Amino acid sequence: MATNGTTRTVTIRLQRFNPDVDKKPVMKEYTLEITSDTTILDALEQIKATQDGSLTFRRSCRHAICGSCAMNVNGRNTLVCNQRVNAHLDRKGAVTVRPLPYLPIIKDMVVDRTSFWEQYQRVKPWLVPPDDVPEKEFRMTPEEVAALNDAEKCIMCGACYSACTVTAVNKRYIGPHALLKASLRVLDPRDTITNERLIEISGNDGVFRCHTIFNCIDACPKKLNPTQAIETLRKLAQKREAFVAARKERQKSL
Amino acid sequence: MSQTNTITHDIIVVGAGLAGSWAALAASKAGVKDIGVLSKLHPLRSHSGAAQGGIAAALNNVRPVPGSGSSGPLEAIPPGEAPIDSWELHMFDTIKGSDWLGDQDAIEIMVKEAPDLIYEYEHMGCVFSRLEDGRIAQRRFGGHSTPRANYSADYTGHVLLHTIYEQALRYGVKYYPEWYCLDLIIEDNVCRGVVAMDILTGKLYTMRAKAVMFGTGGYGRAWKITSNATANTGDGVAIAYNAGVPLMDMEFVQFHPTGLYGKGILMSEACRGEGGYLRNSDGDRFMEKYAAGLMELAPRDLVSRSEQLEINEGRGVGPDKGGVYLDLRHLGPEKIMSRLPQVRELAHEFLGVDIIHDMVPIQPTAHYSMGGIPANVDGQVIADAEGTPVVGFYAAGECACISVHGANRLGTNSLLDASLFGRRAGKAMAAFIQNGAKLYPISGDPAQRQEERIQRLMDAPASSKESVAQIGAELKETMTNDCGVFRDGERMARALRKIKELQARFPNARVMDKSRRFNTDVLGAIETEHLLTFAEVVVASALNRTESRGAHWRTDFGRRDDTNWLKHTLVFKNGEEGPRLGYKSVNIDWEKYPPQERKY
Repeated sequence: MATNGTTRTVTIRLQRFNPDVDKKPVMKEYTLEITSDTTILDALEQIKATQDGSLTFRRSCRHAICGSCAMNVNGRNTLVCNQRVNAHLDRKGAVTVRPLPYLPIIKDMVVDRTSFWEQYQRVKPWLVPPDDVPEKEFRMTPEEVAALNDAEKCIMCGACYSACTVTAVNKRYIGPHALLKASLRVLDPRDTITNERLIEISGNDGVFRCHTIFNCIDACPKKLNPTQAIETLRKLAQKREAFVAARKERQKSL
Repeated sequence: MSQTNTITHDIIVVGAGLAGSWAALAASKAGVKDIGVLSKLHPLRSHSGAAQGGIAAALNNVRPVPGSGSSGPLEAIPPGEAPIDSWELHMFDTIKGSDWLGDQDAIEIMVKEAPDLIYEYEHMGCVFSRLEDGRIAQRRFGGHSTPRANYSADYTGHVLLHTIYEQALRYGVKYYPEWYCLDLIIEDNVCRGVVAMDILTGKLYTMRAKAVMFGTGGYGRAWKITSNATANTGDGVAIAYNAGVPLMDMEFVQFHPTGLYGKGILMSEACRGEGGYLRNSDGDRFMEKYAAGLMELAPRDLVSRSEQLEINEGRGVGPDKGGVYLDLRHLGPEKIMSRLPQVRELAHEFLGVDIIHDMVPIQPTAHYSMGGIPANVDGQVIADAEGTPVVGFYAAGECACISVHGANRLGTNSLLDASLFGRRAGKAMAAFIQNGAKLYPISGDPAQRQEERIQRLMDAPASSKESVAQIGAELKETMTNDCGVFRDGERMARALRKIKELQARFPNARVMDKSRRFNTDVLGAIETEHLLTFAEVVVASALNRTESRGAHWRTDFGRRDDTNWLKHTLVFKNGEEGPRLGYKSVNIDWEKYPPQERKY
């Protein structure tokens, strides 16, 4: 329920690093008063406003839809805007926040997502519709839409990408976020480059690199399942020609 | 010293939400390929993506089951049966929602082109929720007389934003993610470019262009309780105002009826569109008293005022009795999980309430800026009440005032407005370029002026007790208390004095981060300066308008006054003397849509 007004004092342990002046990241502790409603993002904002204005992090929407504020809390990747501090305190009343691991640090919690976005663009995240479009909408069944719902909800926060043990050592791997996006387009009956997509995602850097250890599922703040999308793509890649033929057939009545 | 770098494009768009990316895509499709889009966030973080409930268009896919009344179940309109909706109905609903302050020529264009826009979205891959026969599903929304909200569950904005950004990438649009626009360069009424900072390095650039468009979003962060993202600091309106462009109808700020209690985070209007109730502390559906016809689906201004009256009269809920309940329990788990999955998560994450089993406390929350940079139906910004164009400067989306929403916006009309006028502005800019627009020279070194502005912020003495965060907090408190759902002359005069005081204190505020790299401390200070700039315009406009219309409601002038106030406010920056207020006539078709009493 909403704030009942009682406060408690907690310790927020933050990894700080500005590559222009620091040799390596250091942990710093901040003490502050929180209520039962205070989110980790609220706590970071409070520290920035009242203790150290140089604390640097990304954020925007405050409600888990923009994907800006993915960080690592007590060793686990998550968004911080929808996580209450109380839920993450250890026995000493402390919580530890670090930037997303395995990505270059720009400053404090801000990481360089260049490789993440490169892989996103690599899978051509856009739909390539047929040249001839109907006067009104394409007719998609509710079931066809339901198959896309998971992938469509992805907010591109990077929590899965940074938790993946394959991307950690191989930045050429397309990664769970981009494969989830690829599945969105592959499964969309309106898309026309299915063949090209399946070839790309089943290449050297694609779905067969996945070790199926489910870190991405565990990290996803939207409770999505990139591993399952990868599994689906594997199956479709193995029967690519039949799937592409079926797609062409489907588009006749779309 | 002119040490800053210069970048040149045919078109520069500031803001990468629906308006900005649509403009870039439309211009690119029309043949102009040299386009740069700046965003202070990554484009996919834009606040368009937070929109939940739907996008309006009279597609005629759905109707109420005949004989079931205005809140009965919906069904697909069988093939061949008569349509129930039309652009004319959508138009009338929008005009009535605007309390007759919307410009009717602009509204007509918006509602007529709406279906085509939805189909274009659909053809580009947008995943809409569907009917059994494969057509796009539609739901009810406040103030709309038919079910015409086209949606993707309750994350419609997210789906539209991803669709349009990806298509813009497909068409080769160049984005500058995490670049912050600091200044707009206008000389002799001709726009010549912008000054921007690459946030990563802190380096400033003069960016020259033949056409510049602002799609910079709204200004809700000036209020303490708001649904807006931290990015919605009204940068575009403040920058344009400082560059000599007037601002229009800034007093009209929408308070959404269902912000999560104490947080302001949005619980979509789709909650009520799907049949949700509002209840006071006695458990009564109090909307019976205020809008017996439309009940909970009355327009937002009316519902927010009704809630505030219940709260003011002691029938509020929550720890300090400052909210009312949103009751969704009767919708059942299946409908909630399929149509409202996001709002269920939000209520659970932030307040620990499961809306399937419990009512959730909500309160009015600052949500949408009806006012903004005045522009015509092609997004062309105007310099005065006569409509003189600011050559080469365009605006669309929430930062613009076209004006289709007038004094109060209907839900689902904002995604439509941003997309549709973004698209129109993109086409207009392409035509402007293709008709031989020139790259005009820039006198002096505007980037150096911004460099000095940043240096001043960094140089404020470390001994100063004044903090940017404190000034921002006092402003937000003031705006929520004294320029909120209900207003009066005394409180607004007090607010204006307070804003002046905060403006005077601001130069002493210290920035603690002295580094160049990704300095969000400096950005926060500049954003706060922007809040102080436009908040003064909001309050001055509201104080002067001695009537109640739409979202601007005064307890000391409790009636709409068409004789004196059926006109747009137009505010010009007037040096040190503060805002100079002028007015502009409203475009009205007196035969078809003359002003009427607004009852629901």
